[in-house]
Amino acid sequence: MGSYYDIDDILSEEEPVTVIFRKPANGVGIDPSAEKNCVEQGSKVELPLWIAHELCQRDAVSVNVPACFDEKTRLEIQADPANVDLRSRSPYFYELGCKMAPITGDRTLCYFLFFAFRSRYKEVLTKAHTAAHVATPKVLSRLTNEEIDLYEAAQSSVAAFKKWRVGGSRFQPSSALGRKRRSTD
Amino acid sequence: MYGRKACQLVKETATGEKGQIKPFNDDMFNQVIQECCSHHLELQSLFRNMQEEGLDIQTTRNADFYGALIHHLSLTRNKRCLMAYMYNRAEVIRSLRWKLGRVLPEEISKKLSSSEKEYLKGYSASLDAYMNDINLDLTVDMVPPKDPYIQVRVLDDIGEVVLTDCSANLARYSMHFLKRTDAEPYISQGLMEELVS
Amino acid sequence: MTTQSEAQSSAFSAEEMEFVAEDELVDIVPNMRMEPLNMICGDFGPFLPQIAARVPIWLAVALKKRGKCTIRPPEWMSVEKLTQVLEAERDSEKEFQSLPFHYIEISRLLFHHARDDIPDIYMVRSLIEDIRDVRFHKVETSLETFDGRTSAVQIKSLSAMEVNIVRPFVMKALQAFQKLGGLVPESDPLPDSRPPEVDKAAKGRRTLRGR
Repeated sequence: MGSYYDIDDILSEEEPVTVIFRKPANGVGIDPSAEKNCVEQGSKVELPLWIAHELCQRDAVSVNVPACFDEKTRLEIQADPANVDLRSRSPYFYELGCKMAPITGDRTLCYFLFFAFRSRYKEVLTKAHTAAHVATPKVLSRLTNEEIDLYEAAQSSVAAFKKWRVGGSRFQPSSALGRKRRSTD
Repeated sequence: MYGRKACQLVKETATGEKGQIKPFNDDMFNQVIQECCSHHLELQSLFRNMQEEGLDIQTTRNADFYGALIHHLSLTRNKRCLMAYMYNRAEVIRSLRWKLGRVLPEEISKKLSSSEKEYLKGYSASLDAYMNDINLDLTVDMVPPKDPYIQVRVLDDIGEVVLTDCSANLARYSMHFLKRTDAEPYISQGLMEELVS
Repeated sequence: MTTQSEAQSSAFSAEEMEFVAEDELVDIVPNMRMEPLNMICGDFGPFLPQIAARVPIWLAVALKKRGKCTIRPPEWMSVEKLTQVLEAERDSEKEFQSLPFHYIEISRLLFHHARDDIPDIYMVRSLIEDIRDVRFHKVETSLETFDGRTSAVQIKSLSAMEVNIVRPFVMKALQAFQKLGGLVPESDPLPDSRPPEVDKAAKGRRTLRGR
């Protein structure tokens, strides 16, 4: 569980999850297929994780494992972990998985998340270190936000080191200005 | 969907360069607060239904209860998003004080809401009071210093200023040999650049 | 650089590492006469012409800049020693040779401020670059061997700068491993670390799906 103010934690909880209502609910406009402002028992509705999670804990809904963790993704990850586009499945693939695992009761999901991360993080490291100068949006486009965070951690420390080794001016205008820095060389 | 706008507001802080601030989104902020008000009204009316039917709100688990629960969850979610929006902006604002000094350039200052400007003023005053107390400017020498003096080129017309050990006319493109601690604030504001031999 | 170190407060900036390294001692040969300096970090001097004295690098650099001394490069910074180290680094896949904790910072400082005092400076510089590259490659390889229940990484004889460069990544990677590995019950084995080959996908799948 991230901190209350954690932006990534908040955004990851906005990921959609399909739930089936076990109890009806009145006076809510969350089921687009319903005619009235309510949800019938047994309706299938797509809800953001933050509602689904709480309702599930109170036994008001049952949750389906999201499509991004389906058999097809699992097979692709096993075949060629580094080249699977997890970002298109969910930008918060691991966060979502971590939060889904306890409420769906799918034990294999834990193994799968762990396996996926371990098979992919080396690639993240190598890419980050070799591509320290050029921005590589092509690599990043396949990575989840959690992986991009790792990539940037590795990449920025190598870049900072290289900059120090080359030398040059030690003082620079604050990045908060948002202006393009003048070249000092 | 409930909470969608609040989430967009939070997303705004996540995109864009780190350490920079976006204009305060008054419009969206107020819309979320309105959404909260309507959740509150719905919540009350569902509770009223239950009370009229003579049901105990604590123990009853009927359709009205679950409806009310969803509104309650939406309220707390919206609150969390609004809080996170303010909190993360406040963090950036504090860092602006360290990087750019007491007075922000107009183009940045206009992005703050009036309460954020108040906050910056208060924060700045506390920091100043503390630095006065210990008689040390904590905002300089963020990079370990090498020499007490550095060679700089002025990038903008700053004009005549009084520095710690002299006064200088900082005309555009003029070069100076200044005390590092005098030059540092100008450099971080982008008004000067350091020349390296 | 301030902004960078703020962005990832877990790491020092390279400039900060250099600052720390400036406290390391180095021998100088003064060309002037000066009373001993009594400082918080210790007493240095007296300084007599042509008599070597041991001082912190920051002091050596300050005197050198004013033309008051020459700096004697440390013993390990000779072509002979560095060639040995480089060969040993290349021969061993996992082990790191022992070098001064701040060898990267010290060598850069001396290259920058005392280039005329270092014999064969181009050779020395390129040897150090090569050593650094070989070592860094090894660090990368050893980081690839994390597995799920790793809570710490032990790599002997890493230098300050090398640790500093990988620190942000290692911390985040370990956190992620801990989080994901924590979901898998203690009693269960973690899935096989080798990605199964394509034709064995069916077998691999069984491991992933548990029982």
